[in-house]
Amino acid sequence: MCHLNSPGERDITFAMLKRLTSQTPGAGETAQRQANAAIGQPLASEGHSLRRTGYLLGMSDLLWIPQAGLISIALGAMLADLFGAGATSPQSASVSGQLLVIVAGLVCLAVLRMLLQNRALNGARRIARKIQSRARADILRVAVERSPAAVFPASGVFAAQITEQVDLLGPYYRNYVPQVMRLKLVPLAIVLVTVWFSWLAALILLICGPLIPVFMALIGMRAKAASAAQQEELTRLSGILLDRIRGLETLVLFGAAERTEDDIRSAGERFRLGTMRVLKIAFLSSTVLELFSALGIAFCAVYVGFSLLGDIEFGTWGAPLTYSGGLFVLLLAPEFFAPLRAYAAAYHDRAAGVAALEKLAALIEEIGPDSPQLPECISMENPAAVAVDGISSPPSIRFSDVTLSLAGRRVFRNMDLDVAPGETVFLTGPSGSGKTTLLDCLLGFHLPEEGEIRIDGKSARLVAGLLRRNVIWISQSPRLFHGSLKANLLKGVEDGAPVSEDDLWTALRLAGAEDLVRRLPHGLATPLGEDGFGLSVGEIRRVALARAAMHRKATLVLADEPTAGLDEDTAADVIRGLKTLTAGRTSLIASHDPAVLEMPGRTIDLAELTAGVREGATP
Amino acid sequence: MKAVWRIVSSQHQHDRFHFWLGILAAILPAVAGILLLGVSGWFITAAALAGLSGAFLNIFAPSAIIRALAIVRTAGRYGERVVTHDATFRFLTALRNQLFAAFLTRRDRHRRSGVLLNRLTLDISALDTVYLRIVVPVLLCVFTAAALLCVWFAIAVPVFVAGVVFLGAWAGLAWISVARADRKAARRADAASDAIRLRAADLVAGRRDLAIYGGLDAVAASILSADERLTAAEDVEERRATRLICLSGLVGQVFLAVSLAVAVVGAAQAAFSPALAAGLVLVVVVLPELFSMALPGLARLPRTALAAKRVSALQSVAPARTSNAQTPAIHRPGDNPPLLGFEDVTFRYPGAARDVLETLSFDIGKAEAVAIAGRSGCGKSTVAAIASRMLDPRAGRVCLDGRDLGEYDEQTLRRSITVLGQRAYLFNDTVAANLRIANADATDADLWTALEHAALVERISDSSQGLGTVLGEGGLGLSGGEQRRLALARAFLTRPKLFILDEMTEGLDSETARDVLSRFLQFRGNASVLMIAHKRLELDAADRILRLPEPGHEIR
Repeated sequence: MCHLNSPGERDITFAMLKRLTSQTPGAGETAQRQANAAIGQPLASEGHSLRRTGYLLGMSDLLWIPQAGLISIALGAMLADLFGAGATSPQSASVSGQLLVIVAGLVCLAVLRMLLQNRALNGARRIARKIQSRARADILRVAVERSPAAVFPASGVFAAQITEQVDLLGPYYRNYVPQVMRLKLVPLAIVLVTVWFSWLAALILLICGPLIPVFMALIGMRAKAASAAQQEELTRLSGILLDRIRGLETLVLFGAAERTEDDIRSAGERFRLGTMRVLKIAFLSSTVLELFSALGIAFCAVYVGFSLLGDIEFGTWGAPLTYSGGLFVLLLAPEFFAPLRAYAAAYHDRAAGVAALEKLAALIEEIGPDSPQLPECISMENPAAVAVDGISSPPSIRFSDVTLSLAGRRVFRNMDLDVAPGETVFLTGPSGSGKTTLLDCLLGFHLPEEGEIRIDGKSARLVAGLLRRNVIWISQSPRLFHGSLKANLLKGVEDGAPVSEDDLWTALRLAGAEDLVRRLPHGLATPLGEDGFGLSVGEIRRVALARAAMHRKATLVLADEPTAGLDEDTAADVIRGLKTLTAGRTSLIASHDPAVLEMPGRTIDLAELTAGVREGATP
Repeated sequence: MKAVWRIVSSQHQHDRFHFWLGILAAILPAVAGILLLGVSGWFITAAALAGLSGAFLNIFAPSAIIRALAIVRTAGRYGERVVTHDATFRFLTALRNQLFAAFLTRRDRHRRSGVLLNRLTLDISALDTVYLRIVVPVLLCVFTAAALLCVWFAIAVPVFVAGVVFLGAWAGLAWISVARADRKAARRADAASDAIRLRAADLVAGRRDLAIYGGLDAVAASILSADERLTAAEDVEERRATRLICLSGLVGQVFLAVSLAVAVVGAAQAAFSPALAAGLVLVVVVLPELFSMALPGLARLPRTALAAKRVSALQSVAPARTSNAQTPAIHRPGDNPPLLGFEDVTFRYPGAARDVLETLSFDIGKAEAVAIAGRSGCGKSTVAAIASRMLDPRAGRVCLDGRDLGEYDEQTLRRSITVLGQRAYLFNDTVAANLRIANADATDADLWTALEHAALVERISDSSQGLGTVLGEGGLGLSGGEQRRLALARAFLTRPKLFILDEMTEGLDSETARDVLSRFLQFRGNASVLMIAHKRLELDAADRILRLPEPGHEIR
């Protein structure tokens, strides 16, 4: 029915999605907003197919009606055989012939049911998978478009959302939605067949049946609220755990590990109690159902029994209920309730699924279109058009009249700054004076509220995306990623550029990191954990510098405290590397290390440049 | 599978009473459900016979039994679910705590926290299937099957034989689902799920670096390709599970057809009464549901086994520190022992080719501030880690205040030493909670005093929430220097004998650095200080400077 997309295809879809949103901002934005609202929802065609699988399941159920008929006929014949005509041998021969036909019929119908069921379950599963994969792609698309400098949910929370919450959608679509269709089809059909034999039995079913949804809706509403709270609790528990495990060393050093154990314990206990609370409600709703279905079957049995005895003489259309008819009614009764029970079993899949949908919608809302975006996504022009003439020579940089506030705090007010092509500028100033923010502005992580930033005469809005792929950038707290040291270095390489092992070593030498890598047990193949574990802060910084140096075609150098955490000798290595990197490039370096400031270039004190800001700090 | 078994037995040991209570509670409604239809079938047939022959039939007892069974089945189901789930979650919560505690004693604890998070939360919740979806249904099936076979045997041999054949078929399906399970698919699915999680965490936490190196799209694309692998692997598993469940349904239906034949023939041969024959047929109607119950759980067994294996691996880690019962250090009598003493300390990282420290010896006197200087990579941070007992030396000994460092209990040691590390971690929690890590009993006034010492009062009181301001992950929202100063404020809430500073003023501008350092020196009082430093400013503040030798020649 559906095939798995190959990775290549997926990439293309992904790029297409991006292009769609960047090319037509007006229409694209509304379309995207709709797409965001519909995160994790089935497409119209998928909804249709899901319903169809429900019908297939219902068909499989309905085949039980002829099966029950065959059984009733067989047992009725047995009774008739024993009591009606006495034990004449030719009769019993025909009975066993009839029995053979009935058994064969039953088996044939059974095989048919199995095929229908198999087909329905597989179909529903595939569609659910598709919806899940699309939900992941949608979340990622939004996350990728968001400015990296903007506030994000904690990484643990995000990781949990994109795995667990999306996982919860599977059972919802796979189990719940088809059951709804089955519920619409099967009980009605069974009641209609039952009416034919006995209106009273049908009435018993009709009274017990519809009461169930009423009670379940009442209980279900509570279950949904509780389940939503429960999901939040699980996400929180994951977040707390990740955070505490990351900071475990700090906790141990302050002797706070045991206290944290208590925190984790109480969070776990809260989670357990919450889960039980949700489940008790869910169990209650299925208990109501069990009660009515058990009573329904019991009443049917008692009614049929009494009418066969002749104690009850109403409930049928004239002729009294025959044994076969009564048995048939009794056999159908459980199947009347079976879809209801399956529905109830799937109901907390629904509760969890709907809660997950809300969670995902909230996530999208949080990181979605109304929050700061990367400029390339909101630009009117196609960034590819800008890419053609590129930034092949060292660009000039001009901040004119730039005003910017972050989280209610004004960082720049009417700031002007000019950097000539190929010039090296050092940014100094006390911590919090906006050095990092200024560099972020060039990368397009922040957009000025007023004024303009021009790089090589082009608006930073337009070129930022391109610039990011062509800049030597050293952040204040560089981050290395899961994977080998070599893989981390290769992240700095322009797409498709050939890289030899020598190139890597050249970059490492430039960053003063050659010796440290040679000392590592597996050299370039050394696996790095989260936060580059295994390396000290200074070592991470040098590896990050080497990674930056892999951007060889870059024409701009942006460095944020490049020598922080380094001893003098190593800092000297790094500064030597920086000197090489800044040659022939426009460079902006934020630092207060006197050794860095000794490099040739112009020094700008940001505190002075933004002097007007301090008194206007509270807007 | 062994790991699953270990989980089962550990849950059994954790709470035997609830373990068996859950299983008993499961048997009750199952039996009531079987009997409900069986008795109903018997009753209407008996009633029909009585109606035909005019014989007397006690009608009130059966109809009362039928209604009673209906109620027992219902109440039993509720009780069973509550009891089994409660037992499981109690056990799992205990397991989670036990694992976090195990973590604290691990040496490689800060590696791959994303994966470990997976283990703690997902693996533990995956383990709920062990009892709920495997142990209870399987034992229930075994018990019910045994009971049914006994009853069938008592009724007639053909009925018993049919029962053996079809119950055997179900057992065969269960066996197939376990023995022929695709363990590789399970492993692939697990790995893909881990990859999604880790990369998603990387995408968020490292988004600045990723935006420039490699690009966010590339990570997003790699997450999507992991998602594809997950889909493919889970598809294999689920297709199998679906097929098994459908087959189980088919077995049930064929069983029904065959038992119909057996019942009719048996009744015709007067082996048993027709009423009993009808009852037998109706019992078989109920069975597929019961015997299919264990299949989904069994089909997921490979996944569960992987989770169980990882959990057991974490559990089985022996506590790292068994206090070595060495004789206490005897210091030269009459001598004033140094506050911190390193004697011939040698250290080598596991897997490394050479020692980082070789027979290093030095002393720090009371109230003395000693700076350790040396080129990056010469083991300065290792000295700090050994002095704070985060690492144990390979050889030699470390004394704190005249006693071997290994003899201190954790509480006393942590009260005696405060470390201001290179990697001061700020938690995704309020400012107050971050500070109280250092001292749980600190009042708000204490916190403000500490913030004042760290020159952070203004910054924190600027925020409308004050001490209740939540810090983003890694302390986002504060600048690098501010994060450092918050970590400093945290240290100011302690009163240790020894401060270990690991490049405390790093990343601060020189003015702030001087300010922070002088505030610290003012605050430290009589505590000794071990400073890992390379800035002139810090070196100048020390009473004595200890230069570590250059790292040994490189190993090629």
